[in-house]
Amino acid sequence: MQTRQWTLALALAAAAVPLAAAQAEPARAGAQQLAIDTQYYTLPNGLKVVLSKDSSVPTVTVAVYYGIGFRIEPRERTGFAHLFEHLMFQGSAHAPKGTLIGTISNSGGILNGSTRFDFTNYFEVVPSNALERILWLEADRMANPVINDVVLKNQQGVVGNEVKVNVLNQPYSTWPWIDLPMLANTNWYNSHNFYGELREIEAATVPDAQAFSKQFYKPGNAVLVIAGDIDYAAAKAMVGKYFTAIPGGDKVVQPDISEPRQTEGKFKSRVDALAPKPGYAAAYHVPPRGTPEWYAMGLLDQILVQGDDSRLHRKLVTETGIASDVDGGINNPLGNMYNYKGPMLWSFSFQHDPGRSTEEITKAVDAVIADLQTKPVPAAELERARTKIRSQLYSTIDSAGRIGLVDLLAVYALFDNDPAAVNRIEQGFAKVTPALLQKTAQEYLRPTNRSIYVIEPGAKPAAPATPAAAPAAPAKGAK
Amino acid sequence: MKRVLTAFAAAAMAAAPALAQDNFPPAPPVGTPKPFKLPASDTYTLANGMQVTLVPWGIAPKTVVALRVAAGSLNDGDQTWISALTGEMMKEGAGGKSSGDIATAAASMGGDLNVVPTTFGTTIVMNVLSEHAGQAVALVSDVAQRPDFPSGELARVKANLDRQLSVALSSPGPRANVALARAYYGADNPYGRTIPTQAQLDSYTIEQVKAFHAANFGAKRAHLYVAGRFDAAAVKAAIEKSFGGWAAGPAPLDLPPHPRAGPQLILVDRPGAPQSTIRIAFPAGLAGSQGDIPLRVSNALLGGSFSSRITKNIREDKGYTYSPGSSIGFNPYNALWTFQADVTSAHTGDSLKEVFGEIRKLQGSAPDNEEAAGMRTYMAGIFVFQNSTAPALVGTLATRDMLGLPADWLDNYVPAVLAVTPQQMSDTAKATLPLDKATIVVVGDLKTVEPQLKALPELANVPAQTVTVP
Repeated sequence: MQTRQWTLALALAAAAVPLAAAQAEPARAGAQQLAIDTQYYTLPNGLKVVLSKDSSVPTVTVAVYYGIGFRIEPRERTGFAHLFEHLMFQGSAHAPKGTLIGTISNSGGILNGSTRFDFTNYFEVVPSNALERILWLEADRMANPVINDVVLKNQQGVVGNEVKVNVLNQPYSTWPWIDLPMLANTNWYNSHNFYGELREIEAATVPDAQAFSKQFYKPGNAVLVIAGDIDYAAAKAMVGKYFTAIPGGDKVVQPDISEPRQTEGKFKSRVDALAPKPGYAAAYHVPPRGTPEWYAMGLLDQILVQGDDSRLHRKLVTETGIASDVDGGINNPLGNMYNYKGPMLWSFSFQHDPGRSTEEITKAVDAVIADLQTKPVPAAELERARTKIRSQLYSTIDSAGRIGLVDLLAVYALFDNDPAAVNRIEQGFAKVTPALLQKTAQEYLRPTNRSIYVIEPGAKPAAPATPAAAPAAPAKGAK
Repeated sequence: MKRVLTAFAAAAMAAAPALAQDNFPPAPPVGTPKPFKLPASDTYTLANGMQVTLVPWGIAPKTVVALRVAAGSLNDGDQTWISALTGEMMKEGAGGKSSGDIATAAASMGGDLNVVPTTFGTTIVMNVLSEHAGQAVALVSDVAQRPDFPSGELARVKANLDRQLSVALSSPGPRANVALARAYYGADNPYGRTIPTQAQLDSYTIEQVKAFHAANFGAKRAHLYVAGRFDAAAVKAAIEKSFGGWAAGPAPLDLPPHPRAGPQLILVDRPGAPQSTIRIAFPAGLAGSQGDIPLRVSNALLGGSFSSRITKNIREDKGYTYSPGSSIGFNPYNALWTFQADVTSAHTGDSLKEVFGEIRKLQGSAPDNEEAAGMRTYMAGIFVFQNSTAPALVGTLATRDMLGLPADWLDNYVPAVLAVTPQQMSDTAKATLPLDKATIVVVGDLKTVEPQLKALPELANVPAQTVTVP
């Protein structure tokens, strides 16, 4: 429903805290291990179920993740995966439009959904007494969504307004979050406008939606996560009661979403009519998720852009004064380094003043990258990168409503069939050596693996930058 | 609202061929919520007047250390954003540590150090691994008490703020907010003067920054919150050591605003904009006053929740907008109820008509018991969700203290919410939202929007003022 807003929620949560992590008193830095308690099984119809008990707060979080991300939505129907996500809030056979939202709200809970590269998710955080009703609602919309012209037309209007508020009426609009994947990738699945062209969103039909539902929205392509104040046996019984009878459907055949190795640097620029300042963004393809190099890339991300101590921050903000801040990451800003499956980018971006040329900036970036490629990262800096990752992981897991925890459990179940792998994430980072970091920087931070996308400001200056402007500016008409 | 839902339900059912005939189990009951109690907090005062609140909360081994100092844009005087500039400059060096040293130290603890300026205060905050809680207290203390204010960094930091402001003002939302603050509070005081001119920002010297810090930061204005999992005795000792010697400094500034009564209609042109960015504002009762809690529940019902009447109407029925909502902003002196939405330009008038209609409807009749009970439960339930993490709880406690609410206010919140009657929900809407006294801001394509506004009877006699932002 609210792709960007949920991303924002996650970002805020990352500034936040605690969960079933490390109950033991911290002996020394680095000695802690996540120990999230889970139970995992699969129903005969293929639905994966993850349960995780934590009764510290009397709420429960229910999430259903479907293995349909925007990258594999139908051609000629850009934005369809996200539009369909909206339709899943529009009623089901036994819970007509308004019932889902009203029931959750009237129980004292919240709900949302989002569409990402490799999944679409739906989640609720409710007082734990409402668990069974929520499972009933989720089961009904999995089995019996109601899709007709009335709700489709309504949500085409809503989604059109979502695109307007997030893109069309915003400076920088699709930059860099949509522009970079479109530039860096070559496979249509990875390189189309996943928010959608308005005309294609408006052209979607009810039969399109019904076919899409039949193809992707079924138990065998989904994970159900229940985390929080639960009783394992009772929760299992509820899941059995409402989800077992839903037909499993045919196996989803994934298209080829692979990307070839990039061998030449790419560059693109465009004038943004609303943007007042230039923008600079760069993206690099990252190693396949779960490999040793991918863990190394996660640490390189920490070393390069996460936090005020990071190398690109020091270079671009503190030393050269080019940027105020550097925003970046793997799967940024639509997720994190864990919650995707296919080809992915590490990217960073910032706005800067017109006096700084693209060449000057690229040179500054290259110097930082070259250092990582030619010299081993000092031990203290590597340890600091691991500390930052561990701290962020704990905050993700202990985010409001356990939304971060549920997200991790869901994606490790959906993509790896192994939600307990969440407890082993730290081990993967612990194994990374300075030599592997260097090798990964050499292969993946190559200039030939890079795509740079710059924005040229098209906005008229808001006010002349001369002191004479001072008295006039405050308040025409607003004394 | 009911009418709309019924129409939709009928259409939906008609379009669901025979699915309701199946063996799908009946809807199970929703039981009664379990009780929820906020964790007990330990609040005490240092000899110099600084307040401290410690709260054990959460499960992960992390600790939030947040120092709130009552020094914000309220204290700017006519030097708009001198507080923001001071906040930024505090990170540029403190206690002999460079900005790089501060950043490295913070990262080694597992967290950044952030300085967040607002109207009523500046918060210096870290969220670190528990074993570093004591060190975090010391680092926050350095930044708060001993900033070095290196003059060599000033031009760069000012340029950053300039650029951020320019980028922010290219979005319609911030422009609407600036215009609303100017119109409602007047442009001659810190409440209404929310942004500086570029020339003004450029003119600030390092002496002015130092002077602002010296005049406004001190123990008597400070409250340190520590929440999460931590060793309380060790943290208390670190606090005494780091903050015990801080000079008391001045008492908080007392500067009430003098808002202007509506009606006002403020227009900001954004030629070609596909949406209109709307604000509708009314003064509301003080936090903690008798009408406070009823208005909060009434607001959730009207526009403050996803299942609110306005959302159901202009989003889920009409499709005019993606993100409508209303909220109440509180400060120690007053409060402001504000509706906001970005609506399709061609439906600007239609959207306002529906919002006015929903306000009038709630004013005219009390909600039925089911809807009212649902909203009470919603408000009680999200209170749990909203305070379930240490950073969120720190925010709640700091807001309570900033507003001067009593310590037990949070304990009484849920019972007070559950006691609000349907009639009170209607009455508070009547008292707070008089449609002929609204302050309305629209940022949009005025050639499309103005004729739509003129056609609304509610705005027929309100003279529109077209303003520019900045």
